[in-house]
Amino acid sequence: MRTPNEPAPLLPLLHAYHDRDGMLTDDALREISATLKIPLADLYGTVTFYHFFAREPGGRDAPRVCDGPICKLKGCDGMLDALAAEGAKPMPCAGRCDEPIPVLRGGEVLTGLSVDDLRVRPTPLPPAYPGDDEECVFAHIREPGRATLDGYRANGGYTALESALRDASPGAVIETIEASGLAGRGGAGFPTGRKWRAVADAAGSPKTIVCNADEGEPGCFKDRAIMDYDPHAIIEGMVLAGFATGAERGFIYLRYEYPKTLEILERAIAEAESAGMLGDDIAGTDTEFRLYVRRGAGAYICGEETSLLNSLEGKHPFPRNRPPFPVTHGFEDLPTAVNNVETLASVAPILRNGAEWYRGLGRGEHAGTKLISLSGDIQRPGNYEVPIGLPLRTLLDDWAGGPQPGRSIQAVTMAGLSGGFLGGEDLDATLDEPSLRGKGSFLGAGGIMVFDDTRDMLEVAHGAMRFFAHESCGKCFPCRIGTQRLTERLARDAGPAALDAWREEVADIGATMKATSACGLGMAAPLITESLLRYFPDAVRAHFGD
Amino acid sequence: MTQTSDAIEARTASQTTIVLDGTEVPFCDGETLYEISRRHRKEVPTLCYDDRLDAFGACRLCVVEVDGFRNPVASCTTKATPGMVVRSTSETLERHRKTLMELVVSENTGGSARNGNIDVDPLRGLKSQELSNLATRYEVDGTRFAGATSGKSRQDDGNPFILRDYDKCISCYRCVRVCAEREGDYAISVMNRGFHTQITTEFDSKLEDSACTFCGQCVQTCPTGALADRKALRDAETPGELKKTRTVCPYCGVGCSVDMLSKGDKIVGIHPAMDGPANQGALCIKGQYAFDFIQHPDRLQTPMIRASNGQLVPATWDEALDRAAAGFLAANRDHGRHSIYAIASGRAPHESAYSVQKFIRAGFASNHVDNCSRA
Repeated sequence: MRTPNEPAPLLPLLHAYHDRDGMLTDDALREISATLKIPLADLYGTVTFYHFFAREPGGRDAPRVCDGPICKLKGCDGMLDALAAEGAKPMPCAGRCDEPIPVLRGGEVLTGLSVDDLRVRPTPLPPAYPGDDEECVFAHIREPGRATLDGYRANGGYTALESALRDASPGAVIETIEASGLAGRGGAGFPTGRKWRAVADAAGSPKTIVCNADEGEPGCFKDRAIMDYDPHAIIEGMVLAGFATGAERGFIYLRYEYPKTLEILERAIAEAESAGMLGDDIAGTDTEFRLYVRRGAGAYICGEETSLLNSLEGKHPFPRNRPPFPVTHGFEDLPTAVNNVETLASVAPILRNGAEWYRGLGRGEHAGTKLISLSGDIQRPGNYEVPIGLPLRTLLDDWAGGPQPGRSIQAVTMAGLSGGFLGGEDLDATLDEPSLRGKGSFLGAGGIMVFDDTRDMLEVAHGAMRFFAHESCGKCFPCRIGTQRLTERLARDAGPAALDAWREEVADIGATMKATSACGLGMAAPLITESLLRYFPDAVRAHFGD
Repeated sequence: MTQTSDAIEARTASQTTIVLDGTEVPFCDGETLYEISRRHRKEVPTLCYDDRLDAFGACRLCVVEVDGFRNPVASCTTKATPGMVVRSTSETLERHRKTLMELVVSENTGGSARNGNIDVDPLRGLKSQELSNLATRYEVDGTRFAGATSGKSRQDDGNPFILRDYDKCISCYRCVRVCAEREGDYAISVMNRGFHTQITTEFDSKLEDSACTFCGQCVQTCPTGALADRKALRDAETPGELKKTRTVCPYCGVGCSVDMLSKGDKIVGIHPAMDGPANQGALCIKGQYAFDFIQHPDRLQTPMIRASNGQLVPATWDEALDRAAAGFLAANRDHGRHSIYAIASGRAPHESAYSVQKFIRAGFASNHVDNCSRA
């Protein structure tokens, strides 16, 4: 087996045994423990952290049915019942909210609205651009063959890399990215150029670029669209990031639920290697960059960058305490840039067209574009590339056709689930952080789920909190206990019988979670209850029979 | 925290200040806000902190306010920087701390909160009172935020040393961390995630089937008594005040400091001494648990001498000492001083070990003396 000699060997080894045996046997764990010198108790505990590693015979191939917020609306409970005889289990949002209900079976994802309807369907392409502005990331994604090297090259692919390696300095690349205003598109919004500069300036090597393709946020499926239809854009962005920072290795950390994407990425990497765009002497220069794909195993928290790094390193995927930050102490405690798929896919177009061009793509003072995954009760769900600052109403009504006829939009989620709900007059927000933060929410990774006036928002909120409780890593107390307690209270399984006392408990738990949680999960989860109480006090009262 | 004198000097050289609760206080390079607060006798609460371990930042009780930071920061994981303005307490902080305590007590009320008091027998372990003390301080009884409880006791694990009463566990992972960072056994770990986390071993086995060496350090750092000293708990109902006597473990040459626990005349348990210079709270299975022989009924109650028929019979001390002296003198006279060799037992008190070497060296002008603890 070659993986023990590659960096970050644990996940590939676990998957190799898991795929071979259909489960992770005791013997497999003993062998891996001995090979990688990981204490057996640690390895066992870490394996149980991941949702998809099965410890019972046949567990790997038992169907997993998405029970995310949108699949709930589509009837995933019926699908689960229908597949119960095959040992079907639910899985959290699998990132196909613009498709029928996904069912992960062994190595493939089927989609369908009923068991008879289940088949493999390709990732939907983004709808034809409905706007009057210009796209950046999606500009060429709809062209046939774009995922191949030739298709990518047909529209200027790898020219940004070639000219940067030949004619530009790493500092010049960083300056252009800084000037463009590009910021982390995974949700945190940290300026990309500043992150790269910090890695470039940090002492210690080898340095690393990590592409965060864990896309675990419910309601988000934009990164998969890029990876499936434009994988070379990510590779080019990563090599450019490596050149700019002095990193010579990179990882794409891909969520487990995207098996087809894994094949596409590996094929694209092989193509890029044989074309001299990866490996030694890239594009005939002395730049080198090696790229590895690492497949996750089902843990939302691994989209948090320090959990992701621990997962890559084979450690228990708890988030790390910061500072120090990954830019100085990242993968194996060495300088590391962790960037989202969308961020990296924006890099080559920015270098080709210039920082001013990218800045100009946003509305008003906002720079650039943002991919939005739109789903739920809306006529044309899908991925849209919006100018930052676009009115939310424009996206919902003009671009995506509005709600189904005769319906009205009751609420949308923001940042997948992490930004809570927007409703009422706040649907007049614009899609940029200042506007949304002013309403107690944020744009984040750009998932927007729509719920029309027929939906029970208490039930939606309960499902959302159940997700956060399921995905809480268990390290910090406010999140571990708070998500559980809020879930119980939304289900009315526990907690005060009187509305006022109930409200006070929910508010107190939420306030302490927001103020004291160790990472974004615990800080974001109470936005669900907070926004529920803000926009839907009547629904909450009705829940109490008032 | 251990440090060489060089490191202390380097720290002193780079000393500078922060403002803590309105007072300018000096700190040393690398010090955390928690360390500084504690040095200044601030009562910053914590449940996941053990100063021998890497700061973990899990319980969030130690959060403090720092000017310029939107949210409170965990003081245990935040290093001081010059000029920081820090508040170790405020109305907001105390409200968050109380909510956190209400949450954590609601999680593990499995049998421990009764009539508003969390009653934990101090025999369970050295740090076993931490949760109940903080619950008293914040007037928390586990009734607010009631709901599902977490952690499942391992009643099937019948080892004689460590009670795994996880119904009381608050998932601070001090046990897991002390096992890895201090003992190096890596015998226990964290299983599952979120509210369903549970302390486990390889394949969730019993401790005797794991890499555990029963050193007991997990027991002694546990802040709730979820991990408890099963041997000490045998005397939970024994009457008498619990008394501690500082001594040094005689089993080997390390010289671990221990506090011997007694009720009346009975030795009921051992606590490692956190301030023991040789062990800093560490012990091994022998030092922690192997003390039953001291007051065991099988011990000799009176000297015995061998009668002419080969049988051992009880004797007075004078008879026994005369017989022994005669034997030593005869051997010395007939075969010379090097015919005599003494080995003292590691189970004997230090005073006895001293007497044995004195006896051999002064009595026979020989260095033929050893002690099984030398190994």
